[in-house]
Amino acid sequence: MDTVLPQQFTELCLHSLKHRIQLNQHNIQQVDSPQEFAQTPRLNPKPILLKPLHVENIVAAVDTSTIKIGDTNAGILIAVRGASVWKQNGNYRYTRIGPFIFHVTEENKSEVYSTLENAYFGTQKGSSRQNAPNLLQTPTRIATLLERWLQKMLSKTVNNGLILFDGSLTSGSPDTPTRRMEEILAVARKRANIVLAFSKMTSLRVNGHLITDLLPDHQPPYLLEADVARPRPPVVLLGNIYVARLTREKFAFRVDIDKEIPPQMKIEAVEKLLGNDIFSQSYPETLRFAHILCTFTANEVLAMQHFVMRKFGLHVFNRPDMHRILFGPYGRGEAYS
Amino acid sequence: MKLYKKEENVLQILSFPGETVEKGDYLLVDDSEAGKALIVQVIDVQFASIPGVLEELLRSLPDGGEFIQGEDIDPLEISPHITFIQDASLLFCKIRATVENENLSPSNSWLPSRSQSTIKRLPLPTLLKLADVKGKLPIVLGYTKDSSLLTIDASSLDGRLNIITGKKETGKSHLSKLLMVNLVGYGATVVIFDLNGEYHSLGMTNDGKRNAIYDKIHVLTPSQNFKLALNQLNLHVLLGILIHALHLPGTSAREFRRIWQSLKDRDSLTLHELGETIRNWNCNQQVRDALFSRYHSLVNSGFVTDNIAEATMLEDCLLKAKEQGGAIIINLRNTGSIDRQIVVEYVLGKLVESLTSWKLKAVFLFAEEAHLYLRETYWDDIVTRMRHFGIFTTFITNQPDTIRDNIYRQADNIFLFNFTNEHDLDVVSRAARVDAETVRSIARDLPPHYCLALGKAVRDFPIVTKVKAMDIKTMGETRLFFTNTTTG
Repeated sequence: MDTVLPQQFTELCLHSLKHRIQLNQHNIQQVDSPQEFAQTPRLNPKPILLKPLHVENIVAAVDTSTIKIGDTNAGILIAVRGASVWKQNGNYRYTRIGPFIFHVTEENKSEVYSTLENAYFGTQKGSSRQNAPNLLQTPTRIATLLERWLQKMLSKTVNNGLILFDGSLTSGSPDTPTRRMEEILAVARKRANIVLAFSKMTSLRVNGHLITDLLPDHQPPYLLEADVARPRPPVVLLGNIYVARLTREKFAFRVDIDKEIPPQMKIEAVEKLLGNDIFSQSYPETLRFAHILCTFTANEVLAMQHFVMRKFGLHVFNRPDMHRILFGPYGRGEAYS
Repeated sequence: MKLYKKEENVLQILSFPGETVEKGDYLLVDDSEAGKALIVQVIDVQFASIPGVLEELLRSLPDGGEFIQGEDIDPLEISPHITFIQDASLLFCKIRATVENENLSPSNSWLPSRSQSTIKRLPLPTLLKLADVKGKLPIVLGYTKDSSLLTIDASSLDGRLNIITGKKETGKSHLSKLLMVNLVGYGATVVIFDLNGEYHSLGMTNDGKRNAIYDKIHVLTPSQNFKLALNQLNLHVLLGILIHALHLPGTSAREFRRIWQSLKDRDSLTLHELGETIRNWNCNQQVRDALFSRYHSLVNSGFVTDNIAEATMLEDCLLKAKEQGGAIIINLRNTGSIDRQIVVEYVLGKLVESLTSWKLKAVFLFAEEAHLYLRETYWDDIVTRMRHFGIFTTFITNQPDTIRDNIYRQADNIFLFNFTNEHDLDVVSRAARVDAETVRSIARDLPPHYCLALGKAVRDFPIVTKVKAMDIKTMGETRLFFTNTTTG
């Protein structure tokens, strides 16, 4: 596998769009990749106090985004984009890949997904076919594929750095096979990188409370260590889970740090991160940039619709909003459904 | 371009990059199914309200305010489409006319199809041809944006009230010279109240040589080559001067009338005799004082003389101009405020007299900064009474608020140069021949020497033109302290 973007990704986009289709305009719905995971953890209430370590370290982050840009008679039209951001010598730099536009139908969804998976990770076609997502999951799954590839590329190219992922280090789900995630982490470790995954949302609760809400009355920055009971297979936790409150604001995030890293190095990694990146609302700026850069704006959605109309002769029609038609002013509109 | 919206008589048209349209341009919105087209003029260009543009701009700025550097790998080449959408603009266009079977009508009571209409730029030569702007007596005003000539018909100034206005140094005097030269060329009589001595070299080329109209230019400088003998004056012209320029009260004016009659009867209409008669006249002391102070004003002006050889017959100049066309330039440059009013009062009185008696057919009067010498009651006179006599005035000013509202409302043609001041734009926008939005939007962005022609001369199609350069000696330049001073 090479660090060059697989040509097949582009080819597949174009191939999927070449079938003459009719496009229905649809409310724009941004889909992120939240990690929901039901566990029963224990949270150590004693904070691990942190001191920013001002040792020069590259901080890099990856995020991807996907959006549905329209409905077709046969399926959906989606766009995917990814961004890697790194901070070195006080400057932020980025590489943004995409947008890639796919026409995903019931007929081609397995082929699209398996072809991509094969192109990125060299997976056998047959095996990925079994894991083919349903139509509605496809956008997220394709975005996750791109994200994993970007994570791997970053792990391969950065040395002695702190690599930030969006989400968690939980694997074993159809879109994140354990082997793939292990491979990414192994590549990172090989180059003396430490992977830290920040979840914007978590479903981990202690006594009914989200772990990120159980913050001790202590001066930040600090970490709280969470001990998650052995998850049910095939789910595997590849990181140790912490709750990180890194700034004065009352925000905290779940942070997963590569399990294979020695405990003291994990704490040091967060301290280096504090010393090398800007933090606002407990969230690292590098990761925020990655998120901002890959997110689609309404203007871009219009541009992509313009692109498919111009290049592939598609026409945009407004699909009637059944909520509005049936319930009039009491209909909330499909955006809420 | 796509038709987007219509509000009152403003069409909003969506324009995309590559379709270079600017303020002042004309567009043709052609609905072929309806067999009609709208002629609209762009009066404003704004960014189209595209959702997400703000986010797009903001995300490229990190905390430090500098652009984040990076590389975009865009294999499908979608970014040009993003730029295309982002750079879309919304054109606000005033509906000017409807074209149906090549005939123009001012109607805008119909709505062209939003989906079927085609929108394209209407070249100005085509518009001018459609509107039949060019006439039998062409005056080339200048060049339009697409390098075509804007030619108006001299007859569109005939019998009309015109205003040339704009801020300082934008080219007002240049345009008025251009109009004058052309009018003189067509044999018209032109009278100019030249406040700053800018027009007396109308007959000279830039290099100081005589031009084709040299012999038709008559420069009259009060108290120098322009003096009057009392016996050349008509009583009511002189009373006009005394009452309006020198504010002589009514009782004294009645007494003056008797003195005048007495002098006339004795055939002694001289300044000297007038002074003596006032001195010896049997009347109230206050009346005598009032008459004396006006008498001294006349004497001190140097404008009235007893030397018949010195006296100039304005009438002769006017008649000469009537025969072969000509411009009588009243040079008021070094004339004091009171004397200026005396001169203007005399000239206007004489013009009315000549026109009433049909010695003159009509006169084109160019009045620069008229508020400095025109009495209050003349403003209404000019747009009503004097117009009927045949005085067709063109006001030239850089202070539009010095011209009364009713003048703007009745102006037939306005040649508008750049204004940036809101108040000035407000005043001009009261003109009846154009809407306020057009004036405000276009005049604000006019570069120097560009003028927005409004009114009958352009068949009510506001047109921006760069005023044609002329080979006429420039005069009236501001005296500068630092001229010829080298720095360093």
